[in-house]
Amino acid sequence: MDFFTILYLSLIFIGFYYFFLFILIYFQNRKHMFEYFKPLKEYSLSIVIPCFNGGENIGRTIENLLKSDYPGLKKIIIVDDCSTDNSYEIAKDFEKKDKRVLVVQTPKNTGGAAGAKNFGAQFVKTELIGFTDDDSYPSKDAISKMVGFFNDEKVGAVTSRVLVRNRDKLLARVQSIEYKVIAFTRKLFGFIDSIYVTNGPLSIYRKKAFDNVKGFDEKNLTEDIEITWHFIAKAWKVHMALNALVYTVVPHKFKPWLNQRLRWNVGGIQTLDKYKKSVFKCGMLGFFIMPYFFVAWVLAIFGLGFVIYRFSRYLFVQYLATTYSIEAQTAVIRFSELNLSPTILFFFGVVLIALGIFYNFTALAYSRKEDKEFKGENITNVVTYMFIYLLFYPIVLVTSIYKFLTKNQTW
Amino acid sequence: MLKSKKHVFWEALFVTVIVFITGLLIGISFEKHQSDIIENYYAQSEVSLVDIMVLQKLSDIEGYDCDVLINANMEFADKIYFEALLLQEYESASRIVDDLVLSHKKYDLLRTFVWANALKIFEKCSEDFTPVIYLYEQNTEDLAKKATQKVWSRILEDLKYKKGNEIILLPIAADNNLSSVNAFVNQFEIKSLPCVVVGKDVILYELTSEEAIESYLN
Repeated sequence: MDFFTILYLSLIFIGFYYFFLFILIYFQNRKHMFEYFKPLKEYSLSIVIPCFNGGENIGRTIENLLKSDYPGLKKIIIVDDCSTDNSYEIAKDFEKKDKRVLVVQTPKNTGGAAGAKNFGAQFVKTELIGFTDDDSYPSKDAISKMVGFFNDEKVGAVTSRVLVRNRDKLLARVQSIEYKVIAFTRKLFGFIDSIYVTNGPLSIYRKKAFDNVKGFDEKNLTEDIEITWHFIAKAWKVHMALNALVYTVVPHKFKPWLNQRLRWNVGGIQTLDKYKKSVFKCGMLGFFIMPYFFVAWVLAIFGLGFVIYRFSRYLFVQYLATTYSIEAQTAVIRFSELNLSPTILFFFGVVLIALGIFYNFTALAYSRKEDKEFKGENITNVVTYMFIYLLFYPIVLVTSIYKFLTKNQTW
Repeated sequence: MLKSKKHVFWEALFVTVIVFITGLLIGISFEKHQSDIIENYYAQSEVSLVDIMVLQKLSDIEGYDCDVLINANMEFADKIYFEALLLQEYESASRIVDDLVLSHKKYDLLRTFVWANALKIFEKCSEDFTPVIYLYEQNTEDLAKKATQKVWSRILEDLKYKKGNEIILLPIAADNNLSSVNAFVNQFEIKSLPCVVVGKDVILYELTSEEAIESYLN
């Protein structure tokens, strides 16, 4: 066996392992996927909304929170991070109408959501502290389906399921599929104590745990990933309520999408770098989450690199052969050259793709029931997601690694 | 409340190993099956080879009958040429089992023998046919060379279909470190691969049209 065969088979093995891991977790826990718990008591809760130039959506975000059916929601704190639009005025209007709303302003722009979130956290006196983005709309019962998880005193954080609100453009529609698959996967991670991120659109933390980890890391570009790893490192449990829905607005143009993804990935790498000493320590953080991230990235980069290498070589040989054939006045293509004996590697690849498709459809089937507002996924969008959109991941990842290494982390 | 079930990691590993090994075994048996097919063809070809050797001996004793000798060699060369195409197809699909590498060498030896035989007959019966030997590099990583060899194969395949029994076409991998092949390469003073030896004197290194090769045939 040559080097590339061994490399390919190794990548296939890891791909199979991940698939069977997730599918076994799913089959062993499928009855608990939508499980949530009645709170043993009415936990008091404050929600902090960091806001920077979010005038377009902030009103609706506050409205949605005010409609929440959770009676323990005591405060909604809007942190205006020195917006230059009318966000502050909109929030102030709500403050006048509802005494639960508090609007505060940072002395100067903090440069990221983490700074505004930490600033807002200073005003929280409740047992639980939640955060939502200024362009996210939690559903009416989202919070009440999350707080019951805090009955377990070891639970430090509970996160929700994010769905895409704006689905008018192809890129946004494809992301709506991505978000569903991510949510399904994240829930599966929850069953092995490995939820690696508590999302920005809606997550709730036990205030004691939040203070224990000293809030968000303001130097990190993905403070929501970092704080989750910090929780796990400090032995706090993290859960996800799959039926706690929050709708968010995603970029529908390529450049904002790319910037967002680069930020997420650079943040992920920052976090991996920060916690590198925790490998094979700190429970599931060191034993699964970090190795998983690392291997998944290696898999993505090497996998795509392998495909590009082989395919470009094939194309180059075909190009030369065609040129030479024309010069030698012979046929450029012929039936006898069709290889009707595919390799074992081809079969492994086909099986892995089929398993991937099966996994994605399982994840999407799980979203159909809750995502009633929208029609089922169009097959074109699903195909675009699986065979085009996902191919951008390794490219984004490589760019992110470059940005991280060159310290080019300004946005 | 929620119990995490971390034994699932081992279960997943177990299932993966089972599925992966099953896949590998299927792959190995599939490649073995192809290798067996080639081996079976080779065994038949060996019988034909011995037949030709005996015929050659008889001809040395009783005098040459060009038609009989050419036909026997042509038939044998054609047989192993088409087996070579099948071998090439199977080789490109072979990733785990190395059996076909050995088969390829054995076939190269067969073809080299036919080449030697053809040259001998060519001296006596040169008007009736021309041996066309295609020497190539099997283990090259040079993409330009791979492309050139691909086109040579196309041209020679067309030539064979067009000329039929007027040529004996023998593709031989010249980089498998076989003494007999190396001896021929030295004898013909081959400078580089791939190349095509037409008859006893013409060696073509540059890709050329089918018509141009035809002009060197008898």
